[in-house]
Parts: sequence; structure tokens; C-alpha cells
Amino acid sequence: MGCGKEEIVSHTQTITDYLIENQNQFYRYAFSCLHNREEALDAVQTAVCRALEREGTLRNPDAVRTWFYRILVNVCTDALRVRSRTVPFPDAEVSYEDPAPEGDLARRVDGLTPEIGTVIKLRFYEELSLKEIAAVTGCNINTVKTRLYTGLRQLRVTLEGELE
Amino acid sequence: MKNFDRAREAYENTPIPQELDQRVRAGIQQGRKNRRQRTVRRWLSAAACFAVLVAALNVSPTIAKAAAEVPVLGGLFRVMTFISYDASDGGINYVVSVPRLESDADLAGQVNAAIRQRVDAHTARARQDWADYKEAFFATGGTEEEWGDREMDVFVGYEVMSQTDTQVSFVVTLAEGWVSSMEERYYYNLDLAEDRVLTLQDVLGKDWVEICNASIQEQIAASVDEEGFSYFFAPEDGGFTTVDGDTGFYIREDGTVVVAFPRYSIAAGAAGTPEFPIG
Repeated sequence: MGCGKEEIVSHTQTITDYLIENQNQFYRYAFSCLHNREEALDAVQTAVCRALEREGTLRNPDAVRTWFYRILVNVCTDALRVRSRTVPFPDAEVSYEDPAPEGDLARRVDGLTPEIGTVIKLRFYEELSLKEIAAVTGCNINTVKTRLYTGLRQLRVTLEGELE
Repeated sequence: MKNFDRAREAYENTPIPQELDQRVRAGIQQGRKNRRQRTVRRWLSAAACFAVLVAALNVSPTIAKAAAEVPVLGGLFRVMTFISYDASDGGINYVVSVPRLESDADLAGQVNAAIRQRVDAHTARARQDWADYKEAFFATGGTEEEWGDREMDVFVGYEVMSQTDTQVSFVVTLAEGWVSSMEERYYYNLDLAEDRVLTLQDVLGKDWVEICNASIQEQIAASVDEEGFSYFFAPEDGGFTTVDGDTGFYIREDGTVVVAFPRYSIAAGAAGTPEFPIG
């Protein structure tokens, strides 16, 4: 026990400041997953709420970004799952095989499966490192690399020594 | 990476809704509040049985006051916690305290039975929701690893808003929290001397509809900010039109009548449970 209190107070401030400053980014990410304004707003609010509830689990304030993205990614994935109970994804099977590379790249990124799309978006839109993505998604780094390559292959995008 | 430059530009041009900031701040507040409750809860499970009452006293100033008044209350009734538990079972955290009205009045028996029934239905439905969600999670390809430490919260609580020798006003809250959350509130305003439920007409007089509507419309109009934004829906979009016999309300300690609407019913969810003091 002991000295905890002051530490927690300062973490709260770090988290709150971070959340308010970067809210547009969170919304963009949520919107890119859900493609629905209201659901994206709900997801951001839920993730923010959850973050404050669990602020005790943030041990290192420097890691606030990966810590929060993990929460946000989980909230968005959950929202997609709940939705899939009622509205089946008609092309889910097909998109595993071939995401129909039509339209611009942004649209094709949206057509990726959630697991792969998450990695691609975090890497190229949010510019997280592979290590950070591993922390956010709770996968090991090799899984992240596999998903990244799979995604790029499906997108028909070539990499120029991008990974290391 | 060049390929992604255009895609990222499109991504960064996602229009940001103007209420985002308010939603984020609402989330922060909500999270802080829940955290306080969690802290109380953690403390609660560690402490002995009698601590339940102490914790309840900490949570709600109103309960504390009502409890303090119990010994001197030579009156007709008292409200006490009938069932209280804090338990975890199969990924569901229960924080339940069910009120019970102790009184000789017939009304008390009916109200107690109605509350019990609602609480039982609520916990049964929560368990069903959770089972359905879990099943759908794995059926749609979720793994044990991803499931991780997901938990659902089931909350039942009550708050005594005011109490006199013969009357009591309290609210029972039933909530379920997981991916999304839902909350139901039931308002009880009772006159134990006359053995009846108080209505808005009883407390505001025969013009109660006009009085309430005028006051609520005024408060909704006042909530519009300088940019013309308000959480409240326009009447034609399902917003507030009029109070009726089913509208919930409670009575404050100072006698003020407060009319309350369920979350989402007349305003965006971020506005919480809209409440309007009348008069």
C-alpha cells in the first residue's frame, strides 16, 4: 500500500490529458473499424470510460498510448462481434481468400478482416511500431508480422524494406 | 510508405463529429465514478459483514442520513437493505443491494414483492445476455486468449431520496455493464399513512402536466450552447413532448419534485439520465 495515492493522482492526470488531446485520432480509428458515426462515438466513450476505470493497470505512464489503444481496439472488436450477431457479414468468407482489390487502397484496407485490418491500420495510419502493435493486440511479434505480410499481400502492396 | 500516403490522407480526413469532445469528457467522468465504486467494492469484499452497511453509508449521503434517522424514527416505516451481496461467478460480478420497506401497511408488501420480482428478472436476463454473448464470441471465431478476462457487471442498488414520518421517495437502479451498458431506474414515492402511491398530481396539483411541461421545455431550451448544440432530441425526432402518468419522479429532501427520464429516451446517451427539478 503506502505511497500509492499521489502516484495514482498523477497517472489520472496523464491519462485524462492524453485522452482529451488525442480524441480525434481515437475517433478516426473507431470510425475506420465500424463505419458508423454513432457506433464510433459510443466506442470512443466506452473505451475512455474503461481506461479511467482501469487506470490502476497502467504501470508506466510513458506507455499510455499502447495501453489505451489496447482498450480501444478491444472495444471496437467487441462492437463488431456484437453486430455480427444480428447482421451477418456477407463477404466474410470471400475476403479471407481475396479482398477484391478494387477501388482505392483506403477502401481495400476497410475490406480486410478485423485481425489483419487492425495491424495494417495501426502500422500505417497510427504509425505504431511492430512491438507496440504486439502489445496492443496481445499477440506475439511474429503473429503481427504474419498478419502484416498477409494484409499487404491481399492489398497487392509491395514493401520496400519497410519492416525493420 | 508511398502507397499508403493517399489512404492515410483519406483516413485523416475522417470528419470529426462536434460532440466528440463532450463524449470523451462524459466517458472520463463516468470512468472516474465507476472507479470509485470499484474501489468501494474491492474494499467491501475484504471486510466483514457489518461493513456492508458502513460502505453503503459511504456511497450515498442520502442513505447515510436516512440511516442516521432510523433510531429516532418513531414513524410508520423504515427502508433497509434486505439483501446485499458482492460476488463473482462465471465472469459476472454482482454488486447487489435490494431495499425492503418495513411497515405494517399493505402497500409495503406489494412494493417489496414488485421490487423482488424486478431484481430476479434482471439478474436472470443478465445471465442470459452474458451466455449469449459468450457463445457468439466463440462462434464468430474468438479465441480463449482474446476472451481473456472479460467480465460483466450486474448492479442492483437503491437510494433513498427523501423521507418524512409518513412518506418516502426512493429509486431502485438495475444495471448491466459489459460491451454496452444498460440501466433501468424505478422510482417509488409512497405515502405509508394513506397506504398509497403518490402521483405527480398529488405533489404538484391538478395542473401538473402544464407545470411540468413548461418547466422541462424551459430547461431543455436553456441547455442549448452557443453553437446551437444540445444533447436533447427535437420533439419531432423523438424528443420530449409531454409528461404522463408513467413519467418517473422523486422528491428531494427539501420537497422539490424532480422528474426523470430514462437514458436515451429524450436525449443522446451522453446526457445520462436527464433530470428536471420542477418549480
